[in-house]
Amino acid sequence: MNILGLYKKEIKSYFNSPIAYLVVLFFVLFCNVYFLFFNQFIARNVASLRGFFALIPLVFIILIPSITMRSWAEEKKVGTEELLLTLPLTNWELVLGKFLSSLTLLAIMLGMTLFVPITLSTLGHFERGQIIGEYLGAFLLGAAALSIGQFISSITSNQISAYIFGVVGLLFITLIGEVAVLLNPAGALSRIFTHLSFTFHFGSFKKGLVDTRGLLYFLLIIFYFLYLNVKVINLRK
Amino acid sequence: MIQAENIEKKYGSFTAVEDISLSIGRGEIVGLLGPNGAGKTTIMKIFTGYHFPTKGKALINNYDVYSDSLKVKKSIGYLPEMAPLYKDLTVYEYLQFICDVRKITKEKRKTEIERVVAECGLEQVIHRPIDKISKGYRQRTGLAQAIIHSPEILILDEPTTGLDPNQIIEIRKLIKKLGEHKTVILSTHILQEVDAVCNKVLIINRGKIVARGTAEEIRREMQGDFRYFITLKAHDGSEIKSAIEKIDAVNEILLFETKDNGLFNIKLSVKNDILDGEELFDWAVSNNFKILSMIPEKVSLEDIFIKLTKEGDEK
Repeated sequence: MNILGLYKKEIKSYFNSPIAYLVVLFFVLFCNVYFLFFNQFIARNVASLRGFFALIPLVFIILIPSITMRSWAEEKKVGTEELLLTLPLTNWELVLGKFLSSLTLLAIMLGMTLFVPITLSTLGHFERGQIIGEYLGAFLLGAAALSIGQFISSITSNQISAYIFGVVGLLFITLIGEVAVLLNPAGALSRIFTHLSFTFHFGSFKKGLVDTRGLLYFLLIIFYFLYLNVKVINLRK
Repeated sequence: MIQAENIEKKYGSFTAVEDISLSIGRGEIVGLLGPNGAGKTTIMKIFTGYHFPTKGKALINNYDVYSDSLKVKKSIGYLPEMAPLYKDLTVYEYLQFICDVRKITKEKRKTEIERVVAECGLEQVIHRPIDKISKGYRQRTGLAQAIIHSPEILILDEPTTGLDPNQIIEIRKLIKKLGEHKTVILSTHILQEVDAVCNKVLIINRGKIVARGTAEEIRREMQGDFRYFITLKAHDGSEIKSAIEKIDAVNEILLFETKDNGLFNIKLSVKNDILDGEELFDWAVSNNFKILSMIPEKVSLEDIFIKLTKEGDEK
């Protein structure tokens, strides 16, 4: 696999532009401020990050598309897509190179929030297993959102529409369960849609459980949208 | 090295190129000449594996561009019409990225980058971000990218656009030098470029090859006849005329001027390829005439280009 070259370039591009810094900064600030002040972590007197992780799906809806919007749309706009597709790289190498670089940014983003449990751990006893589960869930959720965002970027030709469609797409898959329950409570349809939604599968991780169904679900979503991305590259020829 | 067999490319219902067959050998610099929208870029994109032909086969080193695209891409250096650059990277970072993807080893990387930087004249901008350098430098950075892995085949889509006259001359020199060991396909609508750089020309109009060969061959073919303008020294004009009539290859005398001191200006139309300058010279010697000057007249590539591309439009 010849991924490293593209991966390095993507990482450089992220950190040469203000986007990566802004995204990380916004994520860390917003989540912590919300968690510590609005969610009143201190006043609650419970050593749990649940309030913090409850927020993550919604924050990802607006943040993840801003990471992935450039991915393919920008390459198409400036003509570098032609370079990528004429370099000796397979479609999978291209898609994975881009995906892994955005995954790295996600890991940095989540890694920065580790300061919270680390500093707070002196105040009370955090369940280590639960926090690991929560972080794993957030990472998988983010990865799935990234694969969707990257796919959407591959079918749009400018960053703005890639962002907007990304937000809409993520909003849809995140909340599809809730909407279905509202429309058709206790029906079979609502159960199916609930099982297709991000929130449902993230829910079990949020409780600190590593649910194999959830694990499988997110891995399948990631694979499926990366696969679609590969197919889209072929279509253009 | 490069072969195309009856290539056709359609975009939806629009036929960009059709029935293109060609064969290009090592060390040839081939110019694709044609008006905008003729299909030059499409042909190049097919050879680079960016587009696949709807019909027909394109082969690079006997590898099919569709089924063996990875092998094909390794042996090609490609500069698209718009230099494909990452503006947020520096020239050096950009070339490094290409080295990474092209798997140029760490030991070789430094020398290879130094080589292309020198060849393309990028020394002054090497550590500047690409969006801060001029268009000429960008174009040359694009070219550096295409030659960094010393490919056997170079495909250059209008490589001199946006350059100033000095840079154009330099890039042409570089392409010529590269063409000594590599196969080069370049497209252009600048006719002098073909004359200056290429040793073979394909004239393309409306997706079809309308003429091919060396620039010289195309000229001769298009001209129909060949013309010589000669100045002769002889005693008598009628002597010359009767001697000319004895040459079979002469179609007609286009001009016959008597000058002072026994000089005659004559313009002859001769049958294509049959009579060359040497024979004409021998003919003059055997008749005791002295040739003072002899100019074979060329049809300009411009005239041919206009004629060919207009003809297509009328049909």
